[in-house]
Amino acid sequence: MSEEVVQCHGVTRVYADDAVPVHALRGVDFAVHKGDWVSLAGPSGSGKSTLLHIIGGLDRPNDGSVSVDGEDLGGLSEAQLSDLRLRKIGFVFQAYNLIPVLTAVENVEFIMQLQGIGASERRERALGILDRLGLDDIGDRRPGELSGGQQQRVAVARAVVTDPVLLLADEPSANLDTATTKELLELLRNINENHGVTIVTATHDPMVMGYAKRPVNLRDGAIESDGSTADASPDA
Amino acid sequence: MKLRLLVQLGWRNLWRHKRRNGILLGGITFAIAAVVLANSFIRGMQVQMADNAVDLMNGHVKILAPGYLDDPSIAQSFEVAQDWRPDALEGITSDMVAGWASRVRVPAVIMSERETRGIQLVGIDPASENISFVGKLAIQGEGLADAADRRVIVGAGLAERIETQVGRRIVLITQGADGRNREAGYRVAGIYRSDTSSLEKIFVFTGRDTVQDLLETNVVTELSVRLTEERFSPPLLQRLANVFAGLDVMTWQQLDPTAAAMTAIIDVVILVYFFIMMGALSFGLVNSLVTAVMERTREMGMMRAIGMRPRSVLLQVVLESTLIMGAGIAGGVVIGVLAYLPIADGVDLAAFNEALSTFGLSNVLVPQLFAQDVILVVVLSLILGFVASASPAVRCMKMGPLEAMRR
Ligand SMILES: Nc1ncnc2c1ncn2[C@@H]1O[C@H](COP(=O)(O)OP(=O)(O)O)[C@@H](O)[C@H]1O
Ligand SMILES: [Mg+2]
Repeated sequence: MSEEVVQCHGVTRVYADDAVPVHALRGVDFAVHKGDWVSLAGPSGSGKSTLLHIIGGLDRPNDGSVSVDGEDLGGLSEAQLSDLRLRKIGFVFQAYNLIPVLTAVENVEFIMQLQGIGASERRERALGILDRLGLDDIGDRRPGELSGGQQQRVAVARAVVTDPVLLLADEPSANLDTATTKELLELLRNINENHGVTIVTATHDPMVMGYAKRPVNLRDGAIESDGSTADASPDA
Repeated sequence: MKLRLLVQLGWRNLWRHKRRNGILLGGITFAIAAVVLANSFIRGMQVQMADNAVDLMNGHVKILAPGYLDDPSIAQSFEVAQDWRPDALEGITSDMVAGWASRVRVPAVIMSERETRGIQLVGIDPASENISFVGKLAIQGEGLADAADRRVIVGAGLAERIETQVGRRIVLITQGADGRNREAGYRVAGIYRSDTSSLEKIFVFTGRDTVQDLLETNVVTELSVRLTEERFSPPLLQRLANVFAGLDVMTWQQLDPTAAAMTAIIDVVILVYFFIMMGALSFGLVNSLVTAVMERTREMGMMRAIGMRPRSVLLQVVLESTLIMGAGIAGGVVIGVLAYLPIADGVDLAAFNEALSTFGLSNVLVPQLFAQDVILVVVLSLILGFVASASPAVRCMKMGPLEAMRR
């Protein structure tokens, strides 16, 4: 069996801010293999985003353990989590992915600036990834001058330019029409298959699920079905 | 490290809201310029008040016989050698001393053919009175020639009351140390006018030797020393206390506590004025910065989500406002100084004469631009700008990146 990039054991997340506590995740056991493309699916409120955030070190479980690239997130401080996000994970959110005052190239460079990569290497790699993803003609434009689909594709470029072990995308197609969604998904498939980037998407968009290698269905904070284990015998 | 990145981001963000930031910049510039200029006027008043108090025959330091202030008679007096000079004292150099004057000042009665008034008779050496208002008086007729001059100078207000004129004779009566009254007749050499009309009715001047002759003595009642700068006062005070042991050595502040209190209040006024002006401004400033931070909450959340440290995000926001503050402060100081230059020699405030003379101020106000005041304004504004931008940003940092992105 291939290397596991993500391992979750008994991950539980309860939102207790309201009078009635919300059980967003109820003891999820889950793993992602290197090179896989997992699509977390399920109705709205089933816990997809919560699980994705916990895997990405943006949120902490109330119970259970998560490790990414062999590193146990539970033992990390906020600053260490921040560093882990910077070095190991690429994020594509539903919206507001890009810094409005920076051009597309500068947005891609931004993450490398945070990593302390030198100016010339940064520029070279940013132009390279935009070129490979077919975005070289919009490099000089600011997000305000880009369409929603272009913005999301630049966000993917920014997310993968640092060669993360994992690309996390939460509802990446939420604001896109069918044609644009297809372009984005082709792009994700390209980086998954040709560049070996491991991807986890969270979405209720059937189109996205169709592109993923392994659909995982969530319902009420628990895994209802898992494409990888569906054909194997249950071993919980 | 990534400071360049942060400055670059801050700079671009400023241009994102040209209008809002332009208004903010204009506000800061205007407020700073106004504070700088107003401070120069307030300082000008302060310097003038202090000058006037020193001018009023106090000097920076004055030596008196003990008890003279309670009973200002010739009995409370002392002797000063003809060739005494303050710059002969150890540690006091001639460039610290603007001048000195000894006087005989006694209460007296002045009589004309028609009227009698109580006055202060001051025997002076006109040559040394360039240190007080006496040397600057506008005189109709003639001034005193020397310390032995036997004529008198009276104020215009008094001359009118007792109906005398230049060239007329008056009689002065005053009490000797022995308690017996002396009197003599003198001719009026000149009539003086002063900014402060009450002075004109009080002081009558004649030669110092003349008063000593009248009182059959060679003592003086006061010795004033004027310095080139106030800060030389403490060392002089100390030396004089040693040399004139047994006499009272007093500063102008002790002699004129009202003027001293008013000049001291002005130090506070300058601060209060700054805070009122900047308080009004920081209302707009805080508002703009809070808005700027709030509308970028999601963006800052995203930056943190992808791995930017909160400290860096915070620094970026603070840098941004510091850029605006810095530009506004620089512009404000430049405009304030440019506005000050043409009036540096003084502004004629004749229109407000009455109100001003109540405070012992003359018609021409000379604004004083002190580097220390400008520096104070710059430093306080920077602190203000820092707090105004850091506090909303810190509040934003207290949310997690996810919460920030959900806004
Ligand atoms: N910050 C939060 N505070 C309170 N409840 C939350 C919060 N985030 C999510 N939830 C709740 O947790 C559950 C799962 O949410 P989420 O993971 O966003 O689901 P999905 O992404 O599948 O729509 C929902 O019931 C939602 O209301
Ligand atoms: Mg969701």
